[in-house]
Amino acid sequence: MRSELIRIYKAVHTWTGILTGMALFIAFYAGALTVFKAPLARWASPPAFTEVAAVPLADAPALIAATLAVRPETARDFSLNLKLDEHQPARLSWQVRDPKGDDHDSFSVRHYAASMGADGGVSVEEAQPSKLAEFIDVLHRVVGLPADTDPNRWFMGVVAALYAVALVSGVIVLLPSLVKDFFALRVGKNLKRMWLDAHNVVGIVSLPFHLVMAITAVGFAYHDGIYALQNKMLHGGGLAAAFSPRAGGPQDAPPRDPAAMLPPAELLARVQALAPGFEPERLQYAQVSGPRATVRVWGHDATAFSPRFSGGFVALDPYSGKVVNTEYLPGQQDAPHATVSSLFALHFGAFGGTPVQWMYFLLGMAGAWLFYGGNLLWIETRRRKVPRDGSGMPVQRLDTRLMAAATVGVCLGCVCGISLSIVAGKWLHGQVADLGSWHRYSYYAAFSGCLAWAFLRGGARASVGLLWLAAMFTFAIPATSLLGALVPALGLWAHPAAATLGVDLAAAAGGLCFVWMARATARRVHGGPADSVWSARAPAAASTSSGKEAAGGAADEVEDGVATAASTR
Amino acid sequence: MSASSVPPIRRDWLAKTLAGVLLGFTLAIGCSGVFAWLADGMQMSVRAQLAMWMVMPIWLGVFSGVYFFRSGLRAWAWLGGANALVFGALAAAQWL
Repeated sequence: MRSELIRIYKAVHTWTGILTGMALFIAFYAGALTVFKAPLARWASPPAFTEVAAVPLADAPALIAATLAVRPETARDFSLNLKLDEHQPARLSWQVRDPKGDDHDSFSVRHYAASMGADGGVSVEEAQPSKLAEFIDVLHRVVGLPADTDPNRWFMGVVAALYAVALVSGVIVLLPSLVKDFFALRVGKNLKRMWLDAHNVVGIVSLPFHLVMAITAVGFAYHDGIYALQNKMLHGGGLAAAFSPRAGGPQDAPPRDPAAMLPPAELLARVQALAPGFEPERLQYAQVSGPRATVRVWGHDATAFSPRFSGGFVALDPYSGKVVNTEYLPGQQDAPHATVSSLFALHFGAFGGTPVQWMYFLLGMAGAWLFYGGNLLWIETRRRKVPRDGSGMPVQRLDTRLMAAATVGVCLGCVCGISLSIVAGKWLHGQVADLGSWHRYSYYAAFSGCLAWAFLRGGARASVGLLWLAAMFTFAIPATSLLGALVPALGLWAHPAAATLGVDLAAAAGGLCFVWMARATARRVHGGPADSVWSARAPAAASTSSGKEAAGGAADEVEDGVATAASTR
Repeated sequence: MSASSVPPIRRDWLAKTLAGVLLGFTLAIGCSGVFAWLADGMQMSVRAQLAMWMVMPIWLGVFSGVYFFRSGLRAWAWLGGANALVFGALAAAQWL
């Protein structure tokens, strides 16, 4: 390949990378945690929920009938939950969306649950499920912005498109020396070489994962617009009818009596016969009093990938038990549906069970590291070293100093913010009226505080303190659970479930990682070479500029080094 | 840097980027149209989903590759030509 092209793509990689790196760090750090959305939600759910006596599944028909009698509008959409846990303790639940709210806005959704007393009387309550896991998911979906709205998602789409270009350009830059560089991790005096080698190796190893993420993220951002355009241009306006074929039907049909529906056990038996490996978790009933009544049996199949984050489903007629739709049934999809669904499954890591979830968690964290490291390389490339004639310590360029502060502030701000937000889920429970909003407040308080501190102190000095803060906030997650278990009077709690203990253990491990990083960073900041933005001993910007001219030349030399190193070595 | 026999590759950042983003997108939409036409027998709900998702790899692929063109003008000419071809085929398909 012509070295000219390598240079062009080096510039493309640099600019797309530097523009999106920090937003992508947030998306990947929060996204890695979102893999374990369910355990996080259970961790943050107070124990009061689990004390609600669960209605036995055999009594579900009576519960449904009683609920529909007091809340007829519920016939539109409600769920019978088979797998009850701390976050979803109610047998029967439904959601009411704010009609003015955005389709993707999960924060304005109101949750209701029905339970039955010993006397057979039904009581309907508004449930307040923890919004912690949903909040972290939203951060991930809109690269750290506060709400999942159309404009925020479009912004995320721009980031994701540039990320795709950064991936391709990065591979193009590396290609000529791939064979030589791929198996080389040159640990040694040349730290930049080592970081570049590590950046390359992680980038190439996780490239398929990243390509999937880029393609799906752009799709998630713009699907509404693209569907609308294609509907006009290609589908003759028939898309709405194609996507919800059961929405139509005779309107004047007499309302049906939901009491005549087959009991859940019978419906589950039909599903069992159809798909023996499928493990049902939830029965979602829709339009049960209408002519098009359906029940979607949601669940997972350990031997197949899931078409959606929350699994797959088979749709039945709840009155006859007839199977009406297997298009989203894991393992039984036709080729076109399986192709589309595999994109979703590959984004969510919705296949292969827990081992793949951990793999996605690590790939997500590695991705966050990749973008962080990319920024470090950008800074290092523009570093002014001590000139060989020893004419004094150079002052680092302003743009590298600002980039160092921004990188440290945004990345560690995100880490601190998420940890604090998780901890707030237990400490503020019962103390504040709207805990969902407090997750947001605590995140942005920590995030903006860290960012301000980084710019105030400079990247080098701030980084050590912020890493200790990240370690503290992250250790506070298991510490809070431990305190909850030891001192129940505090009003905190700890669930004995493996999933929630996993959250505590993972946080403890994360805290240890931050301690290690803080110590290593402190060594570098206070004892490492002073001719770098990463040294606390670097001269202030206002000091003598005697070394500037010579150092400027040296920086340019280094800058060219990467392109030529990649293209000619 | 470049050999004298080969003309240098022009940067043309703005022209190439716009060609990649705009013509890449229209080309992707056109290709999805050709797919939707070819896969006529497929159930519409899933054909529409495949047509939507195939926009992304084509669009991003063109956007990523556009800097290989020797100049912005060539990028616009080639991608414009590709668009004309695809949309011409799509228009012709209407008459078949």
